[in-house]
Amino acid sequence: MESGAFRVIGWRAAPPPPNGWSSVFAVYAGEGDVPPLLGAFSVTDGSLVFTPRFPVVPGMHVRAVFQPPGGAPVESAFDVPRQSAPVPSAHVAHVYPSIGILPENQLKFYIYFSAPMQKGEAWQRIHLLGPEDAPVVLPFLELDEELWDRDNTRLTVLFDPGRIKRGLVPLQEDGPAIVAGKHYTLVIDRDWPDGRGAPLVEEYRKEFRVGPADRIPPDPAKWRIAAPRAGTTEALVLDFPKPMDYALLQHMIEVTGAGRIEGSVAVVQDETEWRFTPRQPWKAGDYQLVVQTALEDLAGNHVGRPFDVDTFERVSRTISRETISLPFRIRHQ
Amino acid sequence: MTLSRTFTRLAAGVCCAAAIAFGASTVAMSTGKATLKSAGPLAFGPDGILFVGDSIGAAIVALDVDDHTPRSGGSVEVKGINEKIAAMLGTAADQITIQDVAVNPISKNVYLSVSRGRGPDAVPVILRVDTAGKISEVSLENIRHSSVSLPDPAAIAAGDNPRAQGQRMDVITSVKYVEGKVFVAGLSNEEFSSSLRSIPFPFTEASKAAGIEIWHGSHGRFETNAPVRTFVPYEINHQASILAAYTCTPLVKIPVSELKPGNKVKGTTIAELGAGNRPLDMIVYSKGGKHYILMANSARGVMKLPADNLETYSPITKQTEPAGVPYETIADLKGVQQLDKFDDANALVLMTGNGSMDLRTVPLP
Repeated sequence: MESGAFRVIGWRAAPPPPNGWSSVFAVYAGEGDVPPLLGAFSVTDGSLVFTPRFPVVPGMHVRAVFQPPGGAPVESAFDVPRQSAPVPSAHVAHVYPSIGILPENQLKFYIYFSAPMQKGEAWQRIHLLGPEDAPVVLPFLELDEELWDRDNTRLTVLFDPGRIKRGLVPLQEDGPAIVAGKHYTLVIDRDWPDGRGAPLVEEYRKEFRVGPADRIPPDPAKWRIAAPRAGTTEALVLDFPKPMDYALLQHMIEVTGAGRIEGSVAVVQDETEWRFTPRQPWKAGDYQLVVQTALEDLAGNHVGRPFDVDTFERVSRTISRETISLPFRIRHQ
Repeated sequence: MTLSRTFTRLAAGVCCAAAIAFGASTVAMSTGKATLKSAGPLAFGPDGILFVGDSIGAAIVALDVDDHTPRSGGSVEVKGINEKIAAMLGTAADQITIQDVAVNPISKNVYLSVSRGRGPDAVPVILRVDTAGKISEVSLENIRHSSVSLPDPAAIAAGDNPRAQGQRMDVITSVKYVEGKVFVAGLSNEEFSSSLRSIPFPFTEASKAAGIEIWHGSHGRFETNAPVRTFVPYEINHQASILAAYTCTPLVKIPVSELKPGNKVKGTTIAELGAGNRPLDMIVYSKGGKHYILMANSARGVMKLPADNLETYSPITKQTEPAGVPYETIADLKGVQQLDKFDDANALVLMTGNGSMDLRTVPLP
């Protein structure tokens, strides 16, 4: 084995046998009756070389079997050197929502890790404990396709909507996953392997209590805008009466004046405050905060529309526009 | 050379007509390297074309896997397929994930989308298993293909935080070809929104993966914008429909004629499957002159529901009504993770039992 490829030494590799090179040379990784490694054959300096499609991972035992035509098979074994076990360094950086009291119809958690993690572990590693640390059975939607971001650093965990939506059998049979008035703990196991295969540095726990279900759509009329002064790069501050969705707050609100204003967003105060710091000092004048109505609160209610619309109640103030605009003025002080 | 365009996304909560360009030239598939950033749901289209859902690349890729020899009868049995695939890819069995399984209806060869590695640099691989159990790779280096971009939430998200933009993603949960269109069901990793997109195939230069807004009515009273989890085409009363399973449990039917981009479509609930139901795959088949749905369910095993006369089952509108369509659980089929139709008499399953993950054909119950 040289640089991950396998070369047959001492045999002139020509002409190719009728059934192809794979009929005389095969390399196996893994135990038992397994097919040979995928890869490609070539002839270099008269020797037959097999280059695996993927480099064999550290720690694997490899058997190369060469069957010269009309001769006895030659077998060699190689052990790909094992890497030393990686030192744990990843941890849960934050779980949103930050606040310690959640509505009974809480829709999701965002779990932010400090480093990329492995997929396929979520439902064994995340637990919800109820009163007296009794595990809640199946509170979450255990999708095979885990809802990660592209870097495997953020996982979105949805509460089972069947136990939230009014009128569905699971809500009637099992009740809501979390019950108003009770205390719960979200536990993330230490043994969750990160992208390098190391466990987390430590277990993570988030304790919270549960309040009544929130079915009131966020109402922009109740939001407070604190306008900064012209000529400064002070933050524009938008305050909400209740926490909003952390991830959606990052990108569902824009500031426009004559055009879109460039700047950076910070979400603070348990996601009840959105702060925008412009790249250039503010000019005096009239501006708009343009908010996508798809912005959700913790229970998934949209601006102007609850998570589940009670069609009997005829929510007449349903906003069907894609955005709403909140005007504000910036003055010199 | 892959062909891709970016399309305007219809935001959830908006009901407006999307423009579809008709009469645009059909883009021929071209031969060359096909790019996949991830390989998730699979579906076969016409003439042995394999569609692959690529969530990370936000695209649907059509591959001509060059597998047109018709075959009938036969069966498949590969024990320990995860170990065999891992050995071929030079890694440990717990470092590969079989994302989806699809049977080429022409040749009966089985195709798998596999992820090598479970970290962020996992590599997608498309494999073929023939009826002799031989596993080979479908190389993407020089293959006839075409592709269409799905609206990429990361690119569209407004805001100045590049990191925040990059984190938003639609995870494709199901892909199916129905009457000239590829339907793609997806679930956002941020807003609780449904995306069911329809894309005409062959992909045209102006193909728009335009959105259809799916609403789920619970007992005729409460509506939400509901993500479709898995779906299967089915003809009811000579009308093409899809049967869809939502993330919030019920089974609904939707006529394909209503699945026009820009429409706000409400599925009619035909079965309320109860708590803990997590549908994975569904197929429709006939036996003894009757039609049935077979649904693989991660919590409930495999369920068989009668599919004839689905239009006669009254939609569940009262809270006190029982489950709608009656179903039975198939006791022999446990640990089924993937399910597809093999032929008129058999299904293909990927099932885990006794510590072994096996790919095999089983008679339709």
